[in-house]
Amino acid sequence: MSDISTSTNSAPPSAREPGEPKARMMNDKKKDLIQKFAALASLMLLVAVFAMTSDAFLSVNNGMTIALQVTSIAYLGIGATCVIITGGIDLSVGSVLALAGVVAALAVKAGVPVPLGMGLGILVGAFCGLLNGLCVTRLKLPPFIATLGMMLVARGVALQITGARAVSGLGESFGELGNGALFRVVTIGDDGFPNVVFPGIPYPVILMVVAAIGVAVMLSRTTLGRHIYAVGSNAEAARLSGVNVARVTLVTYILSGSLAGLTGCVLMSRLVTAQPNEGVMYELDAIASAVIGGTSLIGGVGTISGTAIGAFVIGILRNGLNMNGVSAFTQQIIIGLVILLTVWIDQIRNRR
Amino acid sequence: MTPSTVSRALPEFQSAAIGAEVLRLTNVSKHFPGVRALDEVCFDLRRGEVHAVCGENGAGKSTLMKIISGQYQPDGGSIAYKGEARRFANSLDAERAGIAIIHQELNLIPHLSVAENIYLAREPKRGWFIDRATLRRDAQACLDRLGVDIRPDALVKSLSVAQCQMVEIAKALSLNAEIVIMDEPTSSLTESETALLFQVIHELKREGVGIVYISHRLDEMAAIVDRVTVLRDGRYVSTHDFAATSVDDIVARMVGRSLEEKFPERTSVPTDEVLLSVSGLTRRGVFHDVGFELRRGEILGFAGLMGAGRTEVARAIFGADPLDSGRIRLGDREITVRSPRDAIDHGLAYLSEDRKSHGLAIKMSVVQNLTLATMDAMSNRFGFIDFEAEAKAAKTYIDLLSIRTPSPHQVAKLLSGGNQQKIVIGKWLLRQSRILFFDEPTRGIDVGAKFAIYQLLDRLAAQGIGVVLISSELPEILGLTDRVAVFHEGRITAVLNTRDTSQEEIMHHASGHSRPTAPGAATP
Repeated sequence: MSDISTSTNSAPPSAREPGEPKARMMNDKKKDLIQKFAALASLMLLVAVFAMTSDAFLSVNNGMTIALQVTSIAYLGIGATCVIITGGIDLSVGSVLALAGVVAALAVKAGVPVPLGMGLGILVGAFCGLLNGLCVTRLKLPPFIATLGMMLVARGVALQITGARAVSGLGESFGELGNGALFRVVTIGDDGFPNVVFPGIPYPVILMVVAAIGVAVMLSRTTLGRHIYAVGSNAEAARLSGVNVARVTLVTYILSGSLAGLTGCVLMSRLVTAQPNEGVMYELDAIASAVIGGTSLIGGVGTISGTAIGAFVIGILRNGLNMNGVSAFTQQIIIGLVILLTVWIDQIRNRR
Repeated sequence: MTPSTVSRALPEFQSAAIGAEVLRLTNVSKHFPGVRALDEVCFDLRRGEVHAVCGENGAGKSTLMKIISGQYQPDGGSIAYKGEARRFANSLDAERAGIAIIHQELNLIPHLSVAENIYLAREPKRGWFIDRATLRRDAQACLDRLGVDIRPDALVKSLSVAQCQMVEIAKALSLNAEIVIMDEPTSSLTESETALLFQVIHELKREGVGIVYISHRLDEMAAIVDRVTVLRDGRYVSTHDFAATSVDDIVARMVGRSLEEKFPERTSVPTDEVLLSVSGLTRRGVFHDVGFELRRGEILGFAGLMGAGRTEVARAIFGADPLDSGRIRLGDREITVRSPRDAIDHGLAYLSEDRKSHGLAIKMSVVQNLTLATMDAMSNRFGFIDFEAEAKAAKTYIDLLSIRTPSPHQVAKLLSGGNQQKIVIGKWLLRQSRILFFDEPTRGIDVGAKFAIYQLLDRLAAQGIGVVLISSELPEILGLTDRVAVFHEGRITAVLNTRDTSQEEIMHHASGHSRPTAPGAATP
């Protein structure tokens, strides 16, 4: 894709492009690249700065730790991206993940096999998403209000069914999903202690990659994805073109809820304890990651790759600041400023 | 050169109440890219006078108004206000100088009271706080001057449209306006409300306010209008004393005889095969008992004033709005349409008058817009899009419609109006639609692109597609259609053979008093 093809219109370049995976608008693509590059560059800058200020930062182990920490923001961010592209918002995911994790734990405690219990947790998340979607499409509630209601209801139910106490004693198998890793290489040293050669790729990280690729493909290569962008770009035009706007909107909320359910299971599994107070304010991290990644709150614009970068920006900031001994309060201030800065840059870019 | 010399020196008539000249526009021009909206137009206004501006849609009335009220700056010509050459930088500037405009869509804030609206952003203050007593008293004084019975404390949302208009006029008075511009003030008023408005207008005249009055309702004008200026295609036609002219005369001047080379020759003849027939279509309060037939290869016009129900009927047939009753038949098969999806599956298509908000997904690319209605055919059963097929189909229609875009992946937002319209048309051609409703397809696009769209309409009809053309521009209706259905207040008042009718006849049906003037006009 050279500059020449954008500036001349004699030979329509369409014939050469269909094979390309993301056949999107040229100009927008360029802008997109600039945006991505800017986000990626700041990500690199962050890594470089932290690598210099802290010896332990740039290591395989810490890399995996960051990846693991980023997973929950990423799952939620992927869902948030889809919802926000349609022009909606989902404030309930922090509470929904708590409810889903608690339900999964209670089920396992009651004797349900772990995979089934976690499946149930994800289903609970999907159900909450369905209710959100129905409130938005059928009752015509503003998404902000519908999901704000769900945020309170889901948290309340999670506290109610556990009596506000953590659910523990879940057995080792419950912790497998959150703490297990693929390709973990451990050798037994001469002194008889295990020596971790490679920490392995944690299951949550694998799940994150799978979810990100899956949803990215859905958004860019399927009819559903195209319709999601169309609804966010102009819902009335989409409706008049025969797009089932209500169904498309509903699907995005169900997806967001399901991913919140998954997040809940993974988080509780990592702790091998289900906390009904888990995930407070996580929805804001999710929205922030989408926004840092270039998703427009007005709708119609956004990519999963952008959101992934956004999630890593937040994750690396937290991790790096921690390693440099920056207090949690200062971290909040910095992350807040980063969000303001990126969105402001985005605004300037779009005004041109 | 004064307007009166242009208008073949009609007898100069001065009513006693009418005072000195307050505004004079000389040879004012305004160009937009591709459009000459106003071309050397002259206009003058005296104190205590109602001066009407008449013309068809697109004649330049609103541009003229916007120039007087400072929203647009003229490209050429001069404006003299109270004897001095003036240029208004913006509408606030004009408002401060004493020129108020009352828009068709009123600019009041519904959740504030009448008094608060009248003094919005100019609230009388005592220290840091609003002086409520003064606010109320001053507002009451303004309303009293107009002699209208509205409480200053009433919330604007509880008022009728007519009352809101009165509030706007009171606001203008409170600004010490010397000129008030009224844009279609009676379009949504009942007869008694109109009478009340006219009383208020007489009151304003007595106070020496000059009024620029824009309306389609020529019959009503006799009650208040002193002079009338006619515009056509952005050009000045004439100015008359209203008493010395007639409605028919004004209509004739508005219409002119300029049908010349603006339209392509029709290449096709409609067949007898009925594609679509509707009957008894009713949506309570919007349209009643609407019925018409559309034949293969025919272009059927929907003529009428704005708000006569043409768009609403088309949208209801397309499933975009609900219907209370009525039958829709395709050939001899009765169909039910519950959503645009159903209509599209039956081969119907609707191109909205409001391209930006209802037609295009402006953030999406040309290709994505073109294929939006056809995604099911462009993807496999798992929903994966066949990008190759999509690009090929899009390219076909980009070439066929000569959509000018640097790339098929250009964002639709960045194209010109004409090209955007072609994308929307392409979307439906790609869908192989057999019945197309075009709602004001040439609104806001330049002359060259208009002609291309006219040619396209003709070509579509020649291919056996049935076309319904909704247009407020009568020349368009007369230049393109085979038959024309005229709407008035939610009903079809006449279906005319285009060849045998005239603008005058259509206008008369559209304004409700069915008085055919064209000799030999016949309805089939």
